[in-house]
Order: sequence, then C-alpha cells, then structure tokens
Amino acid sequence: YGGAPGGPAFPGQAQDPLYGYFAAVAGQDGQIDADELQRCLTQSGIAGAYKPFNLETCRLMISMLDRDMSGTLGFNEFKELWAVVNGWKQHFVSFDNDRSGTVDRQELEKALMNMGFRLSPQAVTAITRRYSTRGKITFDDYIACCVKLRALTECFRRRDTSQQGFVNFQYDDFIQCVMSV
Amino acid sequence: MAAYPGQGFPGAGQAPAGPYPYGPPGGGAAPGGGAPPGVDPEAFSWFQAVDADRSGSISAKELKQALVNSNWSTFNDETCLLMINMFDKTRSGRMDVYGFSALLRFIQQWKSLFQQYDRDQSGSISCSELQQAFSQMGYNLSPQFSQLLLARYAQRSCNPGIQLDRFIQICMQLQSTTDAFREKDTGLVGNVRLSYEDFLTMVVTRMM
Repeated sequence: YGGAPGGPAFPGQAQDPLYGYFAAVAGQDGQIDADELQRCLTQSGIAGAYKPFNLETCRLMISMLDRDMSGTLGFNEFKELWAVVNGWKQHFVSFDNDRSGTVDRQELEKALMNMGFRLSPQAVTAITRRYSTRGKITFDDYIACCVKLRALTECFRRRDTSQQGFVNFQYDDFIQCVMSV
Repeated sequence: MAAYPGQGFPGAGQAPAGPYPYGPPGGGAAPGGGAPPGVDPEAFSWFQAVDADRSGSISAKELKQALVNSNWSTFNDETCLLMINMFDKTRSGRMDVYGFSALLRFIQQWKSLFQQYDRDQSGSISCSELQQAFSQMGYNLSPQFSQLLLARYAQRSCNPGIQLDRFIQICMQLQSTTDAFREKDTGLVGNVRLSYEDFLTMVVTRMM
C-alpha cells in the first residue's frame, strides 16, 4: 500500500484491505473529498456490477458522516460509510431480481419499508419521481435516496427528545436542519 | 407575527432587461436575425449555439455547457436541473428558447446580488460574506451553517468560496424550505409541530 506518506496511523490499519483503497487517493492530510471518494469507491468495486457513483451522490455521502463539518472523510468515517453502503447494496441486490441494475417503484417501496422507513404514498411518489429515470431507479440514485432519508431521519430523531414521534420546529432550526442534510 | 425572509428574491416571473453576464460560446456571434417575439436577439443566438442539433429545446446537459462561473467552471448539475424545472413550462425536462431567454434575465439578477455580497470582489463568496448575505436577506442562521455550506460546496483552497451556481442553488433552497414551512405555519407564529411522517413528506415532496 504505497499511497500514504508516513505509513498508517495506527497498528492494524495496514492490514485492513479498505485502507489500501483509501490511502491510494487520500492526500497529505489523510482526508478524502468528494472527488477522491468517487475514485476510491469506483476502484474498490463496491458497486459490483452496477455503475458506480456520480459526484453529487459522493458529496451526499460525505455530508452524512462528516461530523467535523470539514467536507471530507477520514479513514474511520470512510470505513463506516463502506459498511452502511454495503448494507444498502445487499438490499438493492435482493430486490433487483432481473439483475437489470435498476428497480421499479414497487421494488423501491418494498426496499424502503424493509429498511424501516414508514413513508406515506405521497412521499413514495415524490421519491420515485425525483430519483427515477423513465420509471426506473438506478443503484446510484437508490444510494443517494437512502443517504437523504437516513440523514433526515437522524435530524428529526435528534430533536424528538421525548421520543413521541413529534417535533416542534422553530423556523430557523427547520431551515438549518433540512439544508444540512 | 413571524415575517419570512427571502420574499424579494429574483423569481421566474420578473424581467428587467439587462446586459448578459457571459458572452455566447464561441465569442460573440452577431445578434441573430429572426428572434421570436419577446426573445432578446442575443439570447436567441446564444440559444441557437447551444441547441446544436436544432431540436428547438435544450437538455440540462446542454444547458450546463452554456453557463459558467467566474472561475470558468460550468454550472453544476443540481443547479442546472433546478433551472430546467423552473423554466421548463412543458414539463419535458428540456428548455425552449422562451425559457432560456427568461433564465438569462434571472441569472443576471442573481449575478447582481452575488456581486453585492462578494464585498472584496474576489469572484466567490467567502464564509463571512455568506453570513452577511444571509443576515441581510433577513435569515437568522448560525455561523456553523455557513461553514457547513462552504465545506460542502467550495473548492478546497486557502481561500474557499462559493461560486455563482451554488449561491443560486442555496438561495433557491432557502426559499423552497421557507415556503414549505410557511404552508404549515398557518398562524404565522414561526413554529410548527410535525410528526415524522409529515416532516419526511414535506421535505421529500418539495426538496429532494
């Protein structure tokens, strides 16, 4: 793994196969931005037979895990992302019965429900409209959709202090909540 | 009574005429004869240059090639999509010459605003300039929020800044988020109680 100057930051990191992909694109600061993430994910083959991610999806993925708001991911955040995306991919694969690389509206609805999202028919329609091309949703779009839903759910849950499923939103907070996602 | 900011933003309907911010691709062809009524000749010739296959309409991809930021980067995909949605009356996902003409006026108005907030005239809006812009527009947003937007949308450099395309996108999102909130805040108290389902539906139908 010749990529990272100075070698791995902690013992065992060099043995981690993911570290190879990460180190190959990360710069001196040990962080990767959206462009680098795109390269990294493509090279790692996580998309399998599917077409890998466009830049906007990579940007979304970073914002999902970017706790220090740097716009970049360190290796641990990258590992977390990998695990999450792999999980979503398993779901997608299980629904993509004809191996077309796309799912249709009903399959998307089922997949989202399996992941635990309770969505109104209105919301599902809006999602499929936004993420589908000619009625089909690609793997990349599906991932982008999952990232958004997950981030929105976190956003809501953090504010639902009494765990009642309701939040009182102040206007300023609502804006920041929605637009940070 | 809550007052919602962003009311005075340039909108799809407004139309002061003005000089165009970017020359047509190819360095300024002579103004096209035969521009349709209501369409500026410069916009018309520009449209013709972009509509290479003469189909009479342009896609988001073609639009992207026509619009550049001050650092010569083309407008990003999200903003182009947003613009097609705003100016595509036919809901075909493509823009005709009338939409394009209106879009150019729209961009010019946004460019003026952008230049106003780019106080040091660097060609991009820094974190503090963005803070100031939000404040002047009437929003009450935290510095962390501006930092987050910069981290997400600015190029990594020693002087990170937001380009015109992202600035337009951010302001449009602020507006649609405000509209979504206001719809629920019937009493105009600046506060709404939302269930998880409502919240998701609201955001997804308007902003995803």
